[in-house]
Amino acid sequence: MNRELRGNLRAAVAAGEMALRSNVMDSFVLFGLLVQPLVIAVLALWMLQDRGDNYAIYVVVGSGLTGLWSTLLFVSGNGITAERWTGTLEWLTSVPTPLTWIILGKTVANVTQSLISMVAAYVLASLLFGYPLSVSQPILFLVSIVLMLLSFVAFGMLIAPAFVLNPDVQRWQNAMEFPVYILAGFLFPIALLPGWTTPISYLLAPYWAARALHITSSLQGGTTEILASWGMLLVLTGVYFLIARRLFRLTLRRARQDATLGVQ
Amino acid sequence: MSAVEVTHLRRVYKITVGVVRRSAKEVVAVDDISFDVHPGELFGLLGPNGAGKTTTVKMLTTLLLPTAGSARILGYDVTHQPERIRPRIGFIFGGERGLYWRLSATDNLRYFASLYHVDPEVSRSRIPFLLEMVGLTGREKEKVEGYSRGMKQRLHVARTLLHDPEVLFLDEPTIGLDPVGARELRHVVQNLQLEGKTILLTTHYMFEADALCQRIAVINHGRIIALDTPEGLKRLVSDLSVVEVEVFGSAETVVDRVRALPTVEAVNIETLDQRQVLQVQSPQGSEIVPGILNALAGIRMGRVAVREPTLEDAYVRLVGGDK
Repeated sequence: MNRELRGNLRAAVAAGEMALRSNVMDSFVLFGLLVQPLVIAVLALWMLQDRGDNYAIYVVVGSGLTGLWSTLLFVSGNGITAERWTGTLEWLTSVPTPLTWIILGKTVANVTQSLISMVAAYVLASLLFGYPLSVSQPILFLVSIVLMLLSFVAFGMLIAPAFVLNPDVQRWQNAMEFPVYILAGFLFPIALLPGWTTPISYLLAPYWAARALHITSSLQGGTTEILASWGMLLVLTGVYFLIARRLFRLTLRRARQDATLGVQ
Repeated sequence: MSAVEVTHLRRVYKITVGVVRRSAKEVVAVDDISFDVHPGELFGLLGPNGAGKTTTVKMLTTLLLPTAGSARILGYDVTHQPERIRPRIGFIFGGERGLYWRLSATDNLRYFASLYHVDPEVSRSRIPFLLEMVGLTGREKEKVEGYSRGMKQRLHVARTLLHDPEVLFLDEPTIGLDPVGARELRHVVQNLQLEGKTILLTTHYMFEADALCQRIAVINHGRIIALDTPEGLKRLVSDLSVVEVEVFGSAETVVDRVRALPTVEAVNIETLDQRQVLQVQSPQGSEIVPGILNALAGIRMGRVAVREPTLEDAYVRLVGGDK
């Protein structure tokens, strides 16, 4: 491994550690990570309790995914805004470690930490509602979890440049939260949505992640469907990373042009 | 090769004005400036607020793109080779921002050492050394939010030296510090220069520039209006004397009467609590004193003195030299 790559990796790990430290001290993160997904899980479990035990794991996975997406959107986005406010964003763009690596480290940490949402929803459904929760295909489910994490990281990298470039993007965060819950089919199948929304869902990696997790956890599909979901997840993750890389390059040049890195 | 080469550098900001009818407006922050900084030199960029000092430093530290012209740091172009420049430079912007307040000084330095690709072995010994150098040993485990402004500024210095940069850009490093803190920081800067670092220092404190810098460029309205050694700049006003008159509650009209006196080159007003000190530059020396006292008739006056011009007087002549 060359010296530069080793330095960038070490910096990404340090950035991830920083993100975790600041999350622990931030009550808003705890809300997004625990309270909101649990509220969604409770409501969904009550509404869907007549559908049988099989549906409980669907809700657990779905509400966990809502926690993941909210954390990614708000914690990662707010993280960049906070860096701008404290005046550290300028510093981060002027160090030898490219900003892409720093944000990657933070996003990996945030996304991995968000798995807590899923664990919390699992504990809630199991203890409070007494559902006998079991994952139907545990190994395939674990593979799906890993691919899901990768795709969420890629999705986070895709939206991060907008936060770097423009402080006003934060205002759009709320508007971006629920459409993804719905279009990605976290809590109910997208078949319930109008037909014209389906192509949009297909372009969202979280949709394929939710699909892979739902299939492997509640046995509602065969191997072909799992492999198709994994394939789409990998393709979209790759595409997102490629676009993100390009966007970061353009964004940083634009930020140097427009002097927005230090704006409060 | 110069450590810093600036050639016809220009930066224009585009701002929008108005809410309903929005229109774009251009503000020229840096207007065609050129200068060189030699290796190991402590070079000063002196100018009033809004003169273009910080914009110049931001372009030289790769944070901003120039609108026109070019700048090279250690031979690398700031526009096209920022990744070559960043490991070789360090910078400080005056003020308290730019640190993680919820973390300790040590944690801040550890994090930035990683971002600067400092080997962990090296940073383990370098961080205590730097904390000692800036006088933060013993407080390094406390959260930065509890630090005084001076301590934060010293932590900035330690942070910027983590990767042992060859060129340092210090943008008003002593701004807002108490006299003791400012003196300690100036001492640190002097030592860095003795170690062979090339330093570009911006300030609007004359005595600071005079005490530290080998050469000074005076910048105003985005343009360099003089570039010389402190002694050379002082020679610009060697033909003048300065009459200082202490007054209490002087009105602008009265000051205008002094400005209108023949042979008065410039009048600078320094406000100190209830009183003001008028600094009147004139080639007439003590001979102009009766004329000044006449012009100030009716105003309560204190001490009157005639002295040799300083760098500050040269600066006043350059920056506010139109009387």
